[in-house]
Amino acid sequence: MNSVASFTVPTVTHAQASADGLAEKVSVRNLDFYYGDNRALKDINVALYKGHVTAFIGPSGCGKSTLLRILNRMYDLYPNQRATGDVLLDGENILEPNQDINLLRAKVGMVFQKPTPFPMTIFENIAFGIRLYEKLPKSELEGRVQHALQRAALWNEVKDKLGANGLSLSGGQQQRLCIARTVAVRPEVILFDEPCSALDPISTAKIEELIDELKDDYTIAIVTHNMQQAARVSDFTAFMYLGELIEYGETTKIFTTPNDRRTQDYITGRFG
Amino acid sequence: MADVALQGRAISVAEKVDRAKVLQRLRLGDAGFRILTRSSAILVLIILGGIIVSLVHGAWPALHTFGFNFLVNESWNPVTENFGAIAPIYGTVVTSLIAMLIAVPVGLFIALFLTELCPMWLRRPIGIAIELLAGIPSIIYGIWGLFVFAPFLQEYVQPFMITTLGSVPGIGGLFAGPPYGIGVLTAGLILAIMVLPFITSISRDVFEAVPPVLKEAAYGLGCTTWEVARYVVLPFTRVGVIGGVMLGLGRALGETMAVTFVIGNAHRISGSILAPGTTISATIANEFTEAVGDLYTSSLIALGLILFVITFIVLACARLMLMRLNARLGK
Amino acid sequence: MTDMTLPTSQTNTPLYRSRQRRNAMTMTLAYAATAFGLTWLVLILAVLLYEGFNGLSLAVFTEMTPPPGAAGGLLNPIMGSLVMTIIAVAIGTPLGMLAGTYMAEYGRYDKLSSVVRFINDILLSAPSIVIGLFVYEIMVAQMGHFSGWAGAVALAVIVVPVVVRTTEDMLTLVPDTLREAAASIGLPRSLMIVKVAYRAARAGMITGVLLAVARISGETAPLLFTALNNQFWSTDLNAPVSSLPVVIFQFALSPYKDWQKLAWTGALIITLTVLTLSIIARALASQRKSS
Repeated sequence: MNSVASFTVPTVTHAQASADGLAEKVSVRNLDFYYGDNRALKDINVALYKGHVTAFIGPSGCGKSTLLRILNRMYDLYPNQRATGDVLLDGENILEPNQDINLLRAKVGMVFQKPTPFPMTIFENIAFGIRLYEKLPKSELEGRVQHALQRAALWNEVKDKLGANGLSLSGGQQQRLCIARTVAVRPEVILFDEPCSALDPISTAKIEELIDELKDDYTIAIVTHNMQQAARVSDFTAFMYLGELIEYGETTKIFTTPNDRRTQDYITGRFG
Repeated sequence: MADVALQGRAISVAEKVDRAKVLQRLRLGDAGFRILTRSSAILVLIILGGIIVSLVHGAWPALHTFGFNFLVNESWNPVTENFGAIAPIYGTVVTSLIAMLIAVPVGLFIALFLTELCPMWLRRPIGIAIELLAGIPSIIYGIWGLFVFAPFLQEYVQPFMITTLGSVPGIGGLFAGPPYGIGVLTAGLILAIMVLPFITSISRDVFEAVPPVLKEAAYGLGCTTWEVARYVVLPFTRVGVIGGVMLGLGRALGETMAVTFVIGNAHRISGSILAPGTTISATIANEFTEAVGDLYTSSLIALGLILFVITFIVLACARLMLMRLNARLGK
Repeated sequence: MTDMTLPTSQTNTPLYRSRQRRNAMTMTLAYAATAFGLTWLVLILAVLLYEGFNGLSLAVFTEMTPPPGAAGGLLNPIMGSLVMTIIAVAIGTPLGMLAGTYMAEYGRYDKLSSVVRFINDILLSAPSIVIGLFVYEIMVAQMGHFSGWAGAVALAVIVVPVVVRTTEDMLTLVPDTLREAAASIGLPRSLMIVKVAYRAARAGMITGVLLAVARISGETAPLLFTALNNQFWSTDLNAPVSSLPVVIFQFALSPYKDWQKLAWTGALIITLTVLTLSIIARALASQRKSS
């Protein structure tokens, strides 16, 4: 029977696998999600591995963005949305009501589809998050800001205009600013929700390069409707359809010999 | 270089605990801020409640003394302490009616002009001019009415009206009497000029919200501009226009300064609109500070209560209509 | 291709011609209505400028209101209006902003906000003389005397609904993605509102305050029996305070020519103030749109 979210630990054949195997950073078990009475996600079981990139693909409305937004409990901002099941971050269930949500969001950062710099200077955009948690002397703060911008491959382009408004940058630069802002808060997991869909091809290529560099230090999940991007950027891929996780495994396997008929149809462009 | 490498490392457990502490502290402020904003919102309701309660409390002596008779009594005599509201109510209603009869058609036609006929480069300046008219404080309308408009009416217009319209059988009585210059008609006209920009800008806003495809479909059939306005734009915006008209009416009913200067302050109902009269707000404005005796003051507050009730009903209906329009537009 | 116009058999019918006539008539009415409206604006402004400038002199800003028959100025009413306006804005703006913040942020979907929105809109257009009566009852009657404080409170009650409305509108315009971006770095709600949302809506909220000030600058009725009037210079807010609109009211209705002249000048000052504030507010609004 071709179906269901089978959750198996993929065998790793790449050289970069660490000696003691893969560590699960985020484990999703039996997750359901409701918009009001509408069950949008059905029994999702999936894992994000430390230091690796996991892509979520599927046609519009399959629930991939919904799933991503559960991982940092972004849905909490809105009424009538709730999740049941377990989502473990380093063993702790983040869906528990007594969870410190703000701390969770500091640990699990998010980059959105539309670049949204704060209405502040470039420097302030980065410093804002840092200052929230730490009281640093000026030089150390500047160093942290520089570092974040360097990791986002933006430093050289803005180092002379840190006082300019964040909104004065181009779309691709704004998105990298948002990545720098997220990185500055030193999260452990970074979620990318279709980060390149509003950008031109050159900016897209830069951001894909960035994701590749960032995965050394962070666990990354990326939602994308661009299959080629998923194939380029990720180590593991999850295919979702109509709120269910259909198949999950190593990217090379999913894109060459998928188990499920539906996965194959989607990848070959039969639908979606 | 070493410190750059240092900054890349993951956060130590000790730092994680610090962050939790910081967030814990911030959360207290969070709860406080929420309570503060919620209380402020509730305060708005309390203000309204306070207005109603204080008006009823102040009006009670008069209402208790006169009862329902207060609403129909034409006398207003501070000496015998016999007060009745019918003359001010009549004046309020009639002046507002005159104002709306003029301002609504004119306002709608100006809105039609601005949305269909006006050349693009002229639209903003005229729009600004309309807003200027709306922004002029009502006391300016008042003194302009007193020193310029009323004498003009008295000199040129009213004698003409009396001789022509005054001899028309049936409505002749409306235009009878000596040309005072000031009076119910003058006050109504001033109110019309005051309410006009208001009606115009609301109408223009709702006219502009009509989806262009609707109008293009009608034009495509060969409809004239007037036919598009009459058969497409107006029906589509009907609820919004009515809402705007009622808002304008609410404003006209409550207007004080523009009316006080030119209404003549006579506590009686005359058949002619050229005669002086009074409105609720004009009466209160003129007499409150000189009112001697509790019953006098209380009667004035009772007038205020009546005015508030009337405008509240009109404004509530207007709001409900505009809410329905917004629901229809999918907002 | 042959000529594509309608055959004359279709354009020459009585029906077509009457439709065209009706259209021409109503379009003429539209032009006439606009000319009508603009004419009044011109007439009013022209007279105001003429009469007002006639009496304008340095003395207007440096001398007190005179007794009838003497020369004088408008210093005390200008000061009184200024002081009461500042206090009214100081009281009304924070209150209005906080209420609007609740409605746009914490309470966006709840019942309380819909009720407050409805009530607020009614307060926005409520007769200002009724507001004056309200403050009379709760302050003047209780305190036993008229006062500048009562006048300021009456103006504040007019400021609050304006600020509530513009704050809520401006904050609602701030896109949710910006709020989510702030949340995604762990920002608690109150900080998200104060440090991000307010900053994004800043220009709009300032516009709202300017509009509120323009609105109360010309208000006479609420001051008539709260602050009353004062012929002399007074810094005591616990006693009657003179204000420009009330002085205009008193002077214009009097039979004295000097007083009437000062009334016109006062009217000009108020109008210019209101217009300037509106222009600044408009400039801020368009600046925000272009950013």
